[in-house]
Amino acid sequence: MSGAGSTDSAERLLSRLVTMLAFALPVIFVLVPLAIFLVYSFFSVDQGTIVHVPTLGNYARFFTDPIFLPVFWNTIVLCVSVAVICILLAYPAAYFLTTLKGRWRYALLMLLLVPLLMSYVIKIYAIRSILGLNGFLNKALVALGILDQPSTLFVFNMNAILLTLSLLLIPFAILPIFLSLERIPQTLLRASDDLGASGLQTFLRITLPLSMPGVASAASFVFVLAIGDFLTPQMVGGISGFTFGRILYSQFGTAYNWPFGAALSVALAIVVIAAILVGERFGRSRGTSV
Amino acid sequence: MNQNTDLLTLRSVSKAYGTVPVLHDIDLSIRDGEFLTVLGPSGSGKTTVLRLIGGLEPLTSGEIRLDGEDISRMPINRRPFNTVFQDYALFPHMTVSGNVGYGLSVRHLKRTEIARRVGEALDLVQLGLFAERFPSQLSGGQRQRVALARALICQPRLILLDEPLAALDLELRRQMQEFLKSIQREIKTTFLFVTHDQEEAIGMADRICVMQAGHIRQLGTPHELYYKPNCEFVARFFGENNLVAGKLGPVQGEQRPIETALGRLVCSIGGQPHLKAAPDGASAFAAFRPEALHLADATDSGNRFSGTIADLAFAGSSTVATIAAGADNASQRLRLRMPSRIGGSVLKSGETVSLSFAPHEGHLVLA
Repeated sequence: MSGAGSTDSAERLLSRLVTMLAFALPVIFVLVPLAIFLVYSFFSVDQGTIVHVPTLGNYARFFTDPIFLPVFWNTIVLCVSVAVICILLAYPAAYFLTTLKGRWRYALLMLLLVPLLMSYVIKIYAIRSILGLNGFLNKALVALGILDQPSTLFVFNMNAILLTLSLLLIPFAILPIFLSLERIPQTLLRASDDLGASGLQTFLRITLPLSMPGVASAASFVFVLAIGDFLTPQMVGGISGFTFGRILYSQFGTAYNWPFGAALSVALAIVVIAAILVGERFGRSRGTSV
Repeated sequence: MNQNTDLLTLRSVSKAYGTVPVLHDIDLSIRDGEFLTVLGPSGSGKTTVLRLIGGLEPLTSGEIRLDGEDISRMPINRRPFNTVFQDYALFPHMTVSGNVGYGLSVRHLKRTEIARRVGEALDLVQLGLFAERFPSQLSGGQRQRVALARALICQPRLILLDEPLAALDLELRRQMQEFLKSIQREIKTTFLFVTHDQEEAIGMADRICVMQAGHIRQLGTPHELYYKPNCEFVARFFGENNLVAGKLGPVQGEQRPIETALGRLVCSIGGQPHLKAAPDGASAFAAFRPEALHLADATDSGNRFSGTIADLAFAGSSTVATIAAGADNASQRLRLRMPSRIGGSVLKSGETVSLSFAPHEGHLVLA
């Protein structure tokens, strides 16, 4: 009797421990670092050492210095553009996938997702060589007679970042859109046909609205991944392609101003959280299940 | 709306998926304004018939004629038919009125006109108060009625219903049966109703088309199917029946005897020339309904046999006895249904009794 009682309480202890661990891991590895960042953003630096006295100086600098706000804003515009381009390219691809039958559908989907398995840096190098002065893009445009001579328009500037990020992040847009398209019951489309709608009407009034949750999550995925990226702008952005991620990186890497870097991170985190919330809000459409 | 003119005709329609045939040479005429039920077990091809008519699937061969005109190749969105789907297929992102008005708005009708007709349709299905709800906020029966309103608002020549009541519970299903029938009478539109439930079919249909294994087995009124089934399948599938195998004897006017394990049974063959024409000695079944079987009394001269009551089941208004009859009172199982009485059944389990049915209540089915 007492033996059974003790195993019972041991089990209960174990399960409580597992529960605590499940909560502790994200708290220790996600929330605590975020909190530390938040705390550091209120400190300052003097002669290379951190002064542990609370101040709003970092935030004041962010809002008053003529450099940071414009770059911040330009970066947001850039990442929104990347998201829009990715959606525009990914939607037709995902739609095409859902028109395929059985095995082909998933084989092709896997092919589209293969780039995710490749090293990020190698992909950037590859894209840079495509966009460069002697790259495939320039050669093709010259050969087609669209350009007289190779253009420097596509590399080491904002355009390069836009194109590279879009290419890198398209798979992240295809997947959620494909999944939301695939989840639309075929009988809804047949019902629309049956009620006299043309193919275009069925697409615009049934397929498109019902795939919006996928589009919303795709957009927020791409935006969040793009805005957090500092490596791509560093490698293809040159001097003119200056993004917020690069400034952040330099605060930690070269300027050794951790408190100011932390304050910039907090600003970025707020945008990211807002983007995720917006994506989530539109991702949950009203009563998708019939 | 003359029930004697044909609205839609299927002529030797066949359908195969790949090399697997599902419909063989179907001929079927649907009369204008009737409530026609296509009844069959699963895999009989009944839903395929509906899908071919609706244009959801192409035919493999044959033709479908509407008012004499071939529409086999007409695309789905031009056919003047609307479907009530089995799972309703309501658009989840539209309100009830958005769903109901869909068929009109894709035809670019004026908003005021759409609103007026949506209001009428919703009143007809008694959902006027639910216009601004979303499908996810409705019960099964309400969704069902939205699907019906959405189909009938386009004033189709034919409404196709694909087992629309299958997902509802028994009580709701009964209500919806009556409701569908009353709507059909009110709007005088032809209904083609597909179901596997023969009680549902009896309750609603003007005519029933029984299908099995891709063939139409019999087409007729519920009364004809119940009392004059033309084959063993219909006799067994449509309502409870007693079938006793045997060999046909010589025709005696409007009756014909059959030699069975229960002895010689005389059955009516009135109005069925194929039963008269069948040769003597042909294999056949004597078919009689459980309610036609009764305890024999002195006035019953023919169709008498004895049996042992194996089981007695009280089923509310009636009592059903399972009877072992034939050789050693064991070879043949029969059912007898009689009205229940407050004082308890006159039958007793284990008792051997003498049974009979009247020749005019017996029927022959060729094997």
